[in-house]
Amino acid sequence: MDRAFPDRPLLQVQGLTKHFPVRSGGGNKVVHAVDQVSFSIPKGKTLGLVGESGCGKSTCARTIIRIYDPTAGKIILDGQDISSLNQKELMPYRKKMQMIFQDPYASLNARMTVHDIIAEPLRAHHICHSKAEERDMVNEMLSQVGLNQEHAGRYAHEFSGGQRQRVGIARALILKPELVICDEPISALDVSIQAQIINLLRQFQENLGLSYLFIAHDLSMVRYVSDEVGVMYLGQLVEICDANEIYSHPLHPYTKGLLSSIPVPNPRMAQTKESVGLEGDLPSPIAPPSGCRFHTRCPYATKKCAECTPELKDVGGGHYVACHQVTDSSV
Amino acid sequence: MDAANKWERISSSDGEADRLYSKSRTFAGDVWFRFRRKPTALLGFILVVILLLFAIVGPFFSPYTYSQQNTKMANVPPVMKVFPGPDGSYFYITQGLKVIELDEDGHLIQQLKKKKDDAKLKQTSFKFGDDQLVIMDYSSLPAVMLDQDGNRIEETILKWNATYVLGTDHLGRDILTRLMYGTRISLMVAFIATAVNMIIGILYGGIAGYRGGKTDAIMMRIVDIISTIPLTLYVILIKVCLDDGLISIIVALSSVYWVDMARVVRGQVLSLKNQEFVMAARTIGSSTRTILLTHLIPNAMGPILVTVTMLIPSAIFMEAFMSFIGIGIAPPMASLGTMCNDATEALRTNPYQLFLPAIVICVIMFAFNFVGDGLRDALDPKLKK
Repeated sequence: MDRAFPDRPLLQVQGLTKHFPVRSGGGNKVVHAVDQVSFSIPKGKTLGLVGESGCGKSTCARTIIRIYDPTAGKIILDGQDISSLNQKELMPYRKKMQMIFQDPYASLNARMTVHDIIAEPLRAHHICHSKAEERDMVNEMLSQVGLNQEHAGRYAHEFSGGQRQRVGIARALILKPELVICDEPISALDVSIQAQIINLLRQFQENLGLSYLFIAHDLSMVRYVSDEVGVMYLGQLVEICDANEIYSHPLHPYTKGLLSSIPVPNPRMAQTKESVGLEGDLPSPIAPPSGCRFHTRCPYATKKCAECTPELKDVGGGHYVACHQVTDSSV
Repeated sequence: MDAANKWERISSSDGEADRLYSKSRTFAGDVWFRFRRKPTALLGFILVVILLLFAIVGPFFSPYTYSQQNTKMANVPPVMKVFPGPDGSYFYITQGLKVIELDEDGHLIQQLKKKKDDAKLKQTSFKFGDDQLVIMDYSSLPAVMLDQDGNRIEETILKWNATYVLGTDHLGRDILTRLMYGTRISLMVAFIATAVNMIIGILYGGIAGYRGGKTDAIMMRIVDIISTIPLTLYVILIKVCLDDGLISIIVALSSVYWVDMARVVRGQVLSLKNQEFVMAARTIGSSTRTILLTHLIPNAMGPILVTVTMLIPSAIFMEAFMSFIGIGIAPPMASLGTMCNDATEALRTNPYQLFLPAIVICVIMFAFNFVGDGLRDALDPKLKK
């Protein structure tokens, strides 16, 4: 199951599972938000994670950064399993791993100035010994994300969405982390601003050798930023491979459906494109379907799909897919 | 700038770019802007300022103290019906059938010495000046003075009391001065009790809300248990166990009223703690203390402030109520409640003694309720224009 990488990967996730207990209704029901997810991110690379709303992408990210405690599985950051550390023991690892949030309006405290927001990580980790040092670091960071020093004294609500997201990026990067988890960092922004933010993130990756876990539902943007792409469906990883490979040769029926849903700017092109529509809604994660979780919506589903859970298997060239139809035919 | 130049491009130098931003208004500035546009809120605020001045600065300008008695001048109202006497003097007959001499401006000079009481004629003669006599006739009430010829003086003049502007109580203490001290006590009790309530409530509610789960359940059940019994009863019970006095009344009030505050803060924290900025603080590794004190509580400050301004009038009322039923501030210290209580005995003859402190209580309650109401509207971002 392990794939070979030249170096030890920066982040390795093995069988990550997160279940949330359901309070109402009684019984011991749980929401299967993330189930047995495994992947790894090499240093300096980007893994894109895509899937529709509610498939567990964000939960996966939040569990990795330990806002949530994982139900099972290992999170190995730089060779150390951090899945069972408590918050105090996590402190040194928090410096290596930071997060950029989806909503730049909700992720910045409205009662704090931009300076205070960006300096918060420095204060939490007692990095600066003087106010002047702190101010210098914050100003340096501000100019790196394309904001002025004058912006430091302002409040977050005085900025536009793009500027706020820059503040969010500055806050995440001031500790000089190695891994940055981007939880849909651009989905709340205008298209024109999205490109600016993405380019800013790529620039930082080139300069600082950052690794990204990039979560999005915009497949075209993911293709642009990612080295590898993982597709999630109902808490499980159904396909993971090289970014270009997944767009040129999608294997899993769900991935095909997702890709065909990308809007094409030219309507004439759209007509010629093969359409693999996705029908129906996402089943309830409280009682996920048996066997392959996608079989209720899959046009190729057979009896085996409903009975037997497919495993994520290599079909050649580091292309992993969890689908009986694909793996059986290739064997 | 002339018309032709209007279309010229403005060079965006650094200074220019900075000016293009609208004047940034802080949160407090924003609230004040909306607060002052509401007339009742502004009125309440002005009243609070006046009350504070009245209570804090007022006593320094008063020639009397709250406990200084002058029994000879007891029960003198602020406005008196006076009878003209000889040599430009005036006489006021008290409810106790004593005669008080006044000057032209309404200053009380002295209580006249009784010379002879004729029980048959129902007339009393008083010594006035060196050797003159004035006679009061109480054969038919209300009592009147007789003039030099022995005729009843039917014509009376209304005169303002210049010595005791708001009159005196049954022990001859200046009511205005006592009102100042009473207001001072009320506001002091209210502010201290509210501050203590606020601190306890914020910490209790904050911890319950942030910890969640079992901690929250246990802590809030304790609050439920406390609040099932009327808070007034607790305060009375606590007061009965403690000594009389200011400190015990503050202890009694502040140990009970925080439950409302705790509930408000807990609700706010529960809704705020799942917001992304709190998650961001957690991924950064900020301590629970930092998260609570710099992220959660400042963002919950709006509802907290509103609860505080609503808590102040109820604390004031509670203090007045307890003093009224006799378990509050110990005499001779003035409290609005004790003043009301003292006045009830002579309500029919001296109604002003009850009405004055009652009016002050009303004004305080109105003022703080208006301010609280205005603050609630000003802090509600949905009403932002």
